[in-house]
Amino acid sequence: MKKILLYTIILCGVFSSCKKYLDVVPDNIATIDYAFTLRTSAEKYLFNCFSYMPAHGNFNFNPAMSAGDEVWYMDPPLDVSGAVNFWNIARGQQNASDPWGDFWLGQRQGKNLWIAIRDCNIFLDNIHKVPDMQSYEKERWKAEVLFLKAYYQFYLMRMYGPIPLVKTNMPITSTPEEVKVSRDPVDSGFNYIVQLLDEAAANDNMPDRIIGTEALELGRITKTIVKAFKAKVLVTAASPLFNGNTDYPNFKTVAGVQLFNQTFNKSKWQRAVDACREAVDFCHANGHALFYMGPNSSFVVNDTLRKQLDLRGALNVKEANNNEIIWANTSSMADINMQRWTMPILATLAISGSGPKGILAPPIKMAELFYSKNGVPITEDKTWNFGQRFDLKTATAADKFYVKDGEQTVKLHFDREPRFYASMAFDRGIWLGNWVNNYDYTKALLYPKARRGEFSAKQGVSNWSVTGYWIKKLVSLSTAADKDGALTYENYPWPEIRLSDLYLLYAEALNELNGPGAETYKWINLVRQRAGLQSVEDSWTNFSNEPSKHTNQNGLRQIIHQERMIELAFEGQRYWDLKRWKEAHVVLNGPIAGWNTVATDATSYYKPVVLYSQAFNMRDYFWPIEIQEVLKNRNILQTPGW
Amino acid sequence: MKCSLPKTAGCILIALCSILQVQFAFAREGHKTRSSHRPASVIRFIIAAPPGNHPVYLFDKEVRGTVLDSANHPMSGVSVTVKDVANIGTTTDINGKFILNVPNDNAVLVFSMVGYASQEIPVKGKEVINLQLKSSAGSLDDVVVVAYGKQRKRDVIGSVTTITPSELKVPSSNLTTALAGRLAGVIAYQRSGEPGQDNAEFFIRGATTFGYKKDPLILIDGIEYTSTELARLQVDDIAQFSILKDATASAVYGARGANGVILVTTKEGKQGKAKINIRLENSISAPTKDVKLADPVTYMRMANEASITRGVLNVPYDQSKIDNTEAGVNKYMFPATDWKKELFKKSTINQRGNFSVSGGGGVANYFIAGSYTKDNGIMKVDKKNNFNNNIDLKTYNLRSNIGLKVTRTTDVMVRLYGSFDDYTGPITGGSQMYRNVMRSNPVLFPASFPLDAEHFGVHHILFGNAERGFFLNPYADMVRGYKQSTKSLMVAQFELKQDLSFLTQGLNFRAMTNTNRQSAFDVSRAYIPFYYTAPANSYDKVTNTYHLLGINPDGGTDFVDLLSGGGRTVVSTFYLEAAANYNRNFGKHGISAMVISILRSQLEAGASSLQESLPFRNQGLSGRTTYNYDNRYFAEFNFGYNGSERFYKTERFGFFPSVGGAWMVSNEKFFEPAKSIVTKLKLRGNYGMTGNDKIGDKEDRFFYLSEVRIGAPANAASFGTNGAYSRPGVSVSRYENYDITWETATNSTFGLEVGLFNKIEIIAEYFTEKRRNILMDRTLPSTLGLQVTPKANLGQAKSRSFEISVDYSSRFGRDLFVSARGNFTYAKNKFVAYEEPLYDEWYKSRIGHPVKQQWGYIAERLFVDDEEVSNSPTQTFGSRPVAGGDIKFRDVNRDGVINTLDQVPIGYPTSPEIVYGFGASLKYKGFDVSGFFQGSARSSFWIDVEATTPFVSYLYDGEKFGTPGTNPTFPTGTQLQNQLLKAYADNHWSESNRNLYALWPRLDNQLNGNNNQPSTWFMRNGDFLRLKQVELGYSLPTGMAKRIHLESLRVYSNATNLLNFSKFNIWDVEMGGNGLGYPVQKVINFGIQVGL
Repeated sequence: MKKILLYTIILCGVFSSCKKYLDVVPDNIATIDYAFTLRTSAEKYLFNCFSYMPAHGNFNFNPAMSAGDEVWYMDPPLDVSGAVNFWNIARGQQNASDPWGDFWLGQRQGKNLWIAIRDCNIFLDNIHKVPDMQSYEKERWKAEVLFLKAYYQFYLMRMYGPIPLVKTNMPITSTPEEVKVSRDPVDSGFNYIVQLLDEAAANDNMPDRIIGTEALELGRITKTIVKAFKAKVLVTAASPLFNGNTDYPNFKTVAGVQLFNQTFNKSKWQRAVDACREAVDFCHANGHALFYMGPNSSFVVNDTLRKQLDLRGALNVKEANNNEIIWANTSSMADINMQRWTMPILATLAISGSGPKGILAPPIKMAELFYSKNGVPITEDKTWNFGQRFDLKTATAADKFYVKDGEQTVKLHFDREPRFYASMAFDRGIWLGNWVNNYDYTKALLYPKARRGEFSAKQGVSNWSVTGYWIKKLVSLSTAADKDGALTYENYPWPEIRLSDLYLLYAEALNELNGPGAETYKWINLVRQRAGLQSVEDSWTNFSNEPSKHTNQNGLRQIIHQERMIELAFEGQRYWDLKRWKEAHVVLNGPIAGWNTVATDATSYYKPVVLYSQAFNMRDYFWPIEIQEVLKNRNILQTPGW
Repeated sequence: MKCSLPKTAGCILIALCSILQVQFAFAREGHKTRSSHRPASVIRFIIAAPPGNHPVYLFDKEVRGTVLDSANHPMSGVSVTVKDVANIGTTTDINGKFILNVPNDNAVLVFSMVGYASQEIPVKGKEVINLQLKSSAGSLDDVVVVAYGKQRKRDVIGSVTTITPSELKVPSSNLTTALAGRLAGVIAYQRSGEPGQDNAEFFIRGATTFGYKKDPLILIDGIEYTSTELARLQVDDIAQFSILKDATASAVYGARGANGVILVTTKEGKQGKAKINIRLENSISAPTKDVKLADPVTYMRMANEASITRGVLNVPYDQSKIDNTEAGVNKYMFPATDWKKELFKKSTINQRGNFSVSGGGGVANYFIAGSYTKDNGIMKVDKKNNFNNNIDLKTYNLRSNIGLKVTRTTDVMVRLYGSFDDYTGPITGGSQMYRNVMRSNPVLFPASFPLDAEHFGVHHILFGNAERGFFLNPYADMVRGYKQSTKSLMVAQFELKQDLSFLTQGLNFRAMTNTNRQSAFDVSRAYIPFYYTAPANSYDKVTNTYHLLGINPDGGTDFVDLLSGGGRTVVSTFYLEAAANYNRNFGKHGISAMVISILRSQLEAGASSLQESLPFRNQGLSGRTTYNYDNRYFAEFNFGYNGSERFYKTERFGFFPSVGGAWMVSNEKFFEPAKSIVTKLKLRGNYGMTGNDKIGDKEDRFFYLSEVRIGAPANAASFGTNGAYSRPGVSVSRYENYDITWETATNSTFGLEVGLFNKIEIIAEYFTEKRRNILMDRTLPSTLGLQVTPKANLGQAKSRSFEISVDYSSRFGRDLFVSARGNFTYAKNKFVAYEEPLYDEWYKSRIGHPVKQQWGYIAERLFVDDEEVSNSPTQTFGSRPVAGGDIKFRDVNRDGVINTLDQVPIGYPTSPEIVYGFGASLKYKGFDVSGFFQGSARSSFWIDVEATTPFVSYLYDGEKFGTPGTNPTFPTGTQLQNQLLKAYADNHWSESNRNLYALWPRLDNQLNGNNNQPSTWFMRNGDFLRLKQVELGYSLPTGMAKRIHLESLRVYSNATNLLNFSKFNIWDVEMGGNGLGYPVQKVINFGIQVGL
């Protein structure tokens, strides 16, 4: 038996001497701590914090572009798989089982912004550890991440209303009870966001504006961005959706805390005005101004067409001398996809596989939104026959820079303000510039032909506009299709905030606080002036059938709202503005119409076809939280109505 | 001591050497002190008697005799050995005669042969021993392969099922397809019939783990392989096939054996002259069932209906096109393409052949086997191409098992095995071709146009397409090129057995090391098809002619080019085990003990992360002791002490013991009177634990480590006017958790074995298992902001199963032999603990429900009209409001909204709870006939709504679009359009025929989100019973065979999947939800087997 023992011992010896056999993992495997041991990895973490910003420059990721009524798609939708998630919201299909565009869980084309906030907190908690960095740079980065943290919380609040504020991270080992946070009241939310922004702006290491280093740093957060964003936050906080919204009297936390303040508080508009003023002054001090096309551009244009260039170039920070863009999102370029999807096919053989697709289709209501050439709504213009807007008219030589002369289209497309022609393209409407270097008004101007069988109409399965309209505004001036359809294109950073946006916020806040007045008019008129329109006072007095509309607060409010929707059309603002103003249940409740795109002749083509009857319920002001999530944490109450 | 593989091997070598040294020293001592007439040799190990006994005189007596069977025919190949003395033995010759030198008069001869009861006959001075061997219906002395060894069947306490290899013979080059219904406790089903991809999925009892490995451990000659290697194994090479099902049987495998173990040993040579066995087979295979599609005219009408009925104004097909197609005006202008016919043949032919040679002499014995199989797919080949795009899978196997007797007490075995696949086939595989047909428009264009005058000189095929050429032409996709892939497995295995009886009787030591390399790669070559269209405006009605327009004159190529992106895998495995065994009887007491230690390391190429690249390792120490008293009472204790690299230090090793006992009632004295009826009665039971470390996903093995990617491209941000300054971000794919540990299963089995009249053998077992520490996702709120959901060992599941198998065999007279068998498995499992949100609705909880239970809505019927919709609880799914003719769901919680809270457990689990099989065979003289049925019950499956919704585009998981040349599934922009199943065309809700219980709801021109919800509407009963196999054979009588110089000759024909009984008839029910893939095949096979 001794021998047995011996062999057993040998066997066991083999076994035990190799305990380390299972230690296959090298010692210095990457863990989160390694992110803060070097500047280069800390920089990656900084960029990581930025990476959660929704990619607004791509229609597939910008909820506001498809969730409202700015664009419509063919049914079944083709080649827009991402945007469909948001479009389903526009079609009243939002639900709590599997929410579309879910930014709470990061599903259905939403991004999980809680992860973004947690990562921002990790960055803020650890950046001080990096050994090989100067403190000024650490401070600068920290200020940027404070901004991002504010931005993400704002993004969530705009969607979900009251949210739990994640001021600090909870450890992963927290007990199940500890992680069951509650929603915080909207006022606390906005206050916290503003507190973060103030902290960021107070940091001297954050640059005022990126000047001189645009090639590498444009898009980094600056004080102008922080201040402009703060203005937007406070205008939102003062707006009806969040200021005295009595639609949710019983929306309280489990502990009984009222989540929506129940009384309108005018001092919120005072805060908004102060923030707007500070932002505008700061922007001016740093050289921001509305964009006008420089005289020395290579384009051969007349004044009419130059105005078009002013308006289209305003979005593009890359245009020479563009000081209008306050926040250019360089991580989300309006790239070839955005531009291809909005641009019509402009010649018979221009059907390259990578050429224009023209799928993003604005409905007729967007065409009706723009003012007449006199700068007042087409429903109000004394000189413009609204009732006959769908009648046909043949363009003359006088129209030739807007509508192809000798061609027929509806009266709706005549005598409109320059922004209409700069923002939208339509059947027989002029498309300035195409083919390479064709910005020459002396040459033949191009225009889409969209009736059945024509080159801009449906060819094949996709690649056509279901309404007969296209978004011209988002196509860079330097993007051109060649005759075979191949695109030469220019990406440009998505304009998150531009100066005209800020001016109109300022005008809105001033009107809400003080009503009409020279100060209020001043900011809206700056925007109108660049759009080639007369001042509010002159336009309404002379052309509106409500000539004194602008002199009372309510009338001016309507004017400012429409001005804002026109100026910022297709930039992903309208959807949020309509909600903020509590106008969505009016505006987003009605037919979506387009032209009869299957018709071959003008008469039948220009019959409005109802594509969809939109319905917007009161519950749609805020997005539902997925059901399981509410069950996992019973302290997070479901958004009312869902 | 820092451990590395060479050092480990060194450890074992040192251990071996020390054993040899000890032995050598012992032998020398013997030489000095004892008699000197025996030649001493330093290199030869000799049997030494235990201390105190006299030395043994070798080979001093010759015994001869004849062995006959019960019919008094001489039996060849009977093994004759001397009991308790290794290495003395022979086999009977052709005339049943043997001659053997035995050590002395006290020797006991053991006569044994598989299928016969062995007999022990003491020599006691006899020089001639004649005897008759009795055939054994479930002989008690059958040897069963068990974990790390063999046991006599009567000693087995654990749950072990064995099967005679010949029962696994199927006319398929895939062994896994033979498992279903043949082995009690094994659940198997086959989802695809594509050569090379047709492995059956199989589980042992109710697998309840969520881990990435649910299938059993497959050990071939002691080495772990995947089911692919099992599939390639030749039945003719198999000596024994066992399945270990419970802890007692598999505990010694510890971590690796948690989901059961399949043990296969291959044949070894036997002493005697070379025996050659040759088998050739040729078979015809065809789909068991064809999915029927609607005709093209119906297709167009329904496509129009799908738009109109949903209020979409422009319909896809003009009436004139429909009329012209129906009239068959011009098959190129108004095509009605039957894509199936264009792509597939009706049947295909496969060949298989294998041979083996075995034999041996005094020093060595050998078994060498080779096989060749050729499986052909069912695709057509275009004559214009000079390459073959049909599936052609050639498999070559070569196996060589050589045993050497190095010394009288030392055996060495070398096993070499190579398995090689050469495959050519469609670039994206055979299943893909079926899926493509299902997504191709039948009325837009023909597969190809004939050459017209204008294109007379072109060398390429004029493939059809439409518009801009973005439609899927499955024919073009199939014939445009081909994929070549090769796969190889090389195995080298060395085994050493050292008899240590000189230390103490019954002790031996063995060691085994194995290394194998698997590698595979593929290359694809293709041209880019030229597409042509016959535009509508080119058609001349009067002359009925059209004009062809090239769609991509610049885009196509008429030469074949290499496609990038071929796959490549290499896996290397090293394995080492060393064991000591002790086995001895003391009078009525039998004891055995075993201790074994193993090391296993596997390294895989092509890892996408550091953590994936690290070797997979197992280390273990296991043991077994058994005791029996008088062959009546049996007891057994097993343990596995296992380590896994996956867990944190404190959790790295797990100890998994098991105990068992058995009582052979029929060996009791008091049982004697009943023994003529009940020839065997055995009760057994056991209780034990196993552990599983293959939990979670393969990608996250190291739960105790966080996995962070510093430099994650998906989390990048860019700055600068042109985004020139870009940096990747940091992503976390796992948070560290030191507490993740083994999934453990505690199980117990009660078994009853009954033998009746020596003809019937019944084994019944009741098995229960409780799995603890099942790894699952935490339910943490999203607001915590974690990038990935942490996991924890939170789940618990229970399973129970009942199995019974009955075997009957009987011989009637001289010529007739009948056997029948049946088996039945009923296995059920349920969650006992599961982390989930706190539901108000009791039915939402998974606790108490089977692991594979599905939840879904209760579909009441179809909505009558839109008005009923608006008066019913809100159903908001998908992108369109619900309308009449859509599925109406039940508002279970009555809150006025249909949402996930209304989903209830529906149907049976997706894998069957009952699996059974039964069959019989009959042998009369040279003729034999057998049939075998296989069935399953209590399972549900769901028709894949997305894949079958007509007219919509559907992309299967894993398919991708990309630029041609990079080997994507489809070129970017390809328009896929589902075909219309005939079953749907015939039976759907329409405005004119408002059938509220129609098979298919209201048509839609896009995927309907409402009708696509998981619900009872598309739930189907997965029950089926099929005639799995029939076989008819004839063996030439031995005498006749002799005359033509053959040992044996058998010709046979067999067939699989000939008949199927099921309630579901759109496709073969066994394919479940995967019905549009490569169909399961029925095969008719002809074979000949020759022994030389």
